[in-house]
Amino acid sequence: MKLLGSTAAGAAAVALAAVAAVVMLAVWLSGGAGVDVPWLPSWGAQLAFRLDGLGALYGLLATGIGVAVFTYATAYLPRHLEHEERPQAEGRRFHALMVLFMVAMLGLATAQDLLLLFVFWDLTAIASYLLIGFDRHHREARLSALMALLVTGVSAVLLLIGILVLRAEFGTFSIPELLERAQGGRVVTLAGALIAVGALAKSAQAPLHFWLPRAMAAPTPVSAYLHSAAMVAAGVFVLSRLHPLLATSPVLLDGLLVVGLISMAVGGLLALHEDHLKRLLAYSTIAQYGYVVTMLGIGGAAGVAGACFYVLAHALAKSALFMTSGAVTEATGAKSLSQVGGLARAMPALAVVSGLAAAGLAALPLTIGFFKDELFFKAAAGRGAWLAVLAVASAALTFAYVTRFWTGIFLGPRPRPARPLPARLVAPVVVLGALVLAGGVAVGSFAALSEAAAEVAAAGPAAVEAAYHLDLRAENVMALAAYALGLALVAGRPAFAGALAGAVRLGRRAGPERAYVAGLAALNRMSNAIHGIEMRDLRTRVVAVLVPAGVLVGAGVAVTPFEGAYLIGGFSRPDLPLVVALAACALAALVVTRLRRHLSMALGLSGVGFSLAVAYELLGAPDVALVAVVIETLFMLLFVAVFALLPRAVLRRESRLAVLGSRRFRDPLVGVVSGLLMLLVVWAALSRPTPTDTSAARQLALAGQAHGKDVVTVILADFRGLDTMVEVTVVVVALLGVAALLRRGKLW
Amino acid sequence: MVARLLLVPILMVAVAILVKGYVDVGDGFAAGVIAALGVLLQYLAFGRAAVERVLPVRHAPKLAIGGLLVALAVVFVPVLLGQPPLRHAPPPGAEVIHLGSLELLTAVLFDAGVFALVLGMVVATIHLIASTVEERGRRP
Repeated sequence: MKLLGSTAAGAAAVALAAVAAVVMLAVWLSGGAGVDVPWLPSWGAQLAFRLDGLGALYGLLATGIGVAVFTYATAYLPRHLEHEERPQAEGRRFHALMVLFMVAMLGLATAQDLLLLFVFWDLTAIASYLLIGFDRHHREARLSALMALLVTGVSAVLLLIGILVLRAEFGTFSIPELLERAQGGRVVTLAGALIAVGALAKSAQAPLHFWLPRAMAAPTPVSAYLHSAAMVAAGVFVLSRLHPLLATSPVLLDGLLVVGLISMAVGGLLALHEDHLKRLLAYSTIAQYGYVVTMLGIGGAAGVAGACFYVLAHALAKSALFMTSGAVTEATGAKSLSQVGGLARAMPALAVVSGLAAAGLAALPLTIGFFKDELFFKAAAGRGAWLAVLAVASAALTFAYVTRFWTGIFLGPRPRPARPLPARLVAPVVVLGALVLAGGVAVGSFAALSEAAAEVAAAGPAAVEAAYHLDLRAENVMALAAYALGLALVAGRPAFAGALAGAVRLGRRAGPERAYVAGLAALNRMSNAIHGIEMRDLRTRVVAVLVPAGVLVGAGVAVTPFEGAYLIGGFSRPDLPLVVALAACALAALVVTRLRRHLSMALGLSGVGFSLAVAYELLGAPDVALVAVVIETLFMLLFVAVFALLPRAVLRRESRLAVLGSRRFRDPLVGVVSGLLMLLVVWAALSRPTPTDTSAARQLALAGQAHGKDVVTVILADFRGLDTMVEVTVVVVALLGVAALLRRGKLW
Repeated sequence: MVARLLLVPILMVAVAILVKGYVDVGDGFAAGVIAALGVLLQYLAFGRAAVERVLPVRHAPKLAIGGLLVALAVVFVPVLLGQPPLRHAPPPGAEVIHLGSLELLTAVLFDAGVFALVLGMVVATIHLIASTVEERGRRP
């Protein structure tokens, strides 16, 4: 079924993103809108969406950056697939997944219900898993996708627990109601901490940052989108959405501050050291979202306003830089800084626009980035001098690695020639670079958008005061200090490169990624060990069930008072046939234990079954007896048929195997003891007086009303019909299993 | 020869058990197994190829899945009508149409679904095993 060709699918994705962006902008400018439909009324969950300022910011990022990235992908992907020797038709899957990613982000940005938020949260994780692992024939890509899924997925469970704690405490999933009701307290702190851990892992903050550089195994459009407008942005989005709740607890805010600062340092230093183009940008993302988390940790109107503006400014610059790196790799085949250089002459347009984006990230004046750092410095200086110093240091780091990135690509000697690039690989970078410049010249509409978002996140007025001031106020001084320090870092890099490399090696050897790998390996070993103990052969497995069950039953028997629990009833002549049937059953069971050949064992077991069927009949349960007889017959025949499937030699060898020494006593002992315990339990049950008002009696009385005379059938088809439904479904699944095992899934 | 003669009575008994299920001993499950045993007897007597030439057994998987769908429909159609799942019709106290000992109830329809499912499942399993055995026999 080919509804759309690969090219048409790409064009459709671009068109969809563009339409969604325009609609979002129109709705937001007209004052926002929302829907609210009951979803799970008994849980109080609502399909509640609302486009408020915060939703508009992240929604416009997802759709706007989406237009740029999807356009880029239409040119990038055919070349990528050709390079990987894969059919072009796979492009459709890629574009569909990117659209899914965008839709998940839109749902997340506008959801007003925590359960709904969680659903979209997980949807972004699934979309990113499939996209990171898009080159699934590469082991590296598969492992990276799994790592992203595990790190963000396991932490998402914490998020869910946090949501459920809030629901248990305040009785609602609705975010506006919750923000109104939750006014601090230990429960709010606990739930907030759980939610924050989930969000920080998603935003790749230390120490759960290691999945992000690995995720660079994805095709470049995925990286560009994931880092700027989706996935990683989802983490800080949730922190912003629930910021009024987090702000009730000073401990939580301080925690965010610490995590943000550490991420800034770790990300910045790693980016300064890294040689691989895309990984360098990935470490930069960790550091940049560290800024955002730090500002959310500082809190207050200034912090939140700075965070919202920062996300916007960073998204424009970072997606442009990612697409630049993809274009450079496409043109030269080089993937790391040491292999490229001097490309400014070969591709001047790209050099200029990516220079704008780089300047934006490095916070130079006349770009939107200047204001992001201005707001950051203002918030940091408002908190204290020590934070102001750290802020300048990390801004200097950013300046240094961005300078290194851009000059390393475009300046210096040119080690290899560059092929010309198609326009669609450059045009999105031009647009984004122009936006970075436009934001630096006329910041008004950008500030308005992030101000609207900040007002939601701060639950109050939060002005984004972005402007140039030609005086020596603290922000300007800090910016100048950061440039100077950054230049010093760039110039002095050869001096400390060795020390930096040593620190990075140490981090790799003892860092959290190591813990992740070791944890995964330990889980695997545990699984293998349990499998080895329990599944080695059938008898060990039976023992593994019988021993724990026997211990429990034995404990039950031991604590039950003996007095009057085990009565010996009378014996009358009419009971004689029943006793004979049961004795035959016991005899057959005993004989089975002495048999060696498989066919004889199957015959012996069906002897047990038939004797039991006779006992059922004598006890007045004809329905059960009928089913027992036909099932025993069928099983007997199927057993014989299955033996025909097994090689004769294997059966013969198995039947001659001697019982292992350790097993010779263990197996009979376990069998006899568990049999005796079972005897005691049944004996005690039969010794109790028969209750008169049982559910059986009630069902018997109700059978007539259900138009039935055979109560067993009525129970199966009516009273407990849902059980029957599940059971027969299992029967069909079993048939599929048989088909899969014998005929590779062919049913006939 | 005896096996062939027996098939029709076996199937008749099975259908009787199914039809009488709601008023007498037996239900769709037992009836399905009995009918399947009748087919199995044919396999034993004549071999796979002959049976599959004469009887319409190749529809067994469809029968199994169809039976499941019937049972699921009886459970979930009431949900679509805004009632709890497996709400049977006619309701308690209402008149039931009798055709001999067959009662026209949705519960009996459910049972018939189980019958079809079990019959189809067992016959399909027999076929799968038999054809695998034959295939292995051909190979050295």
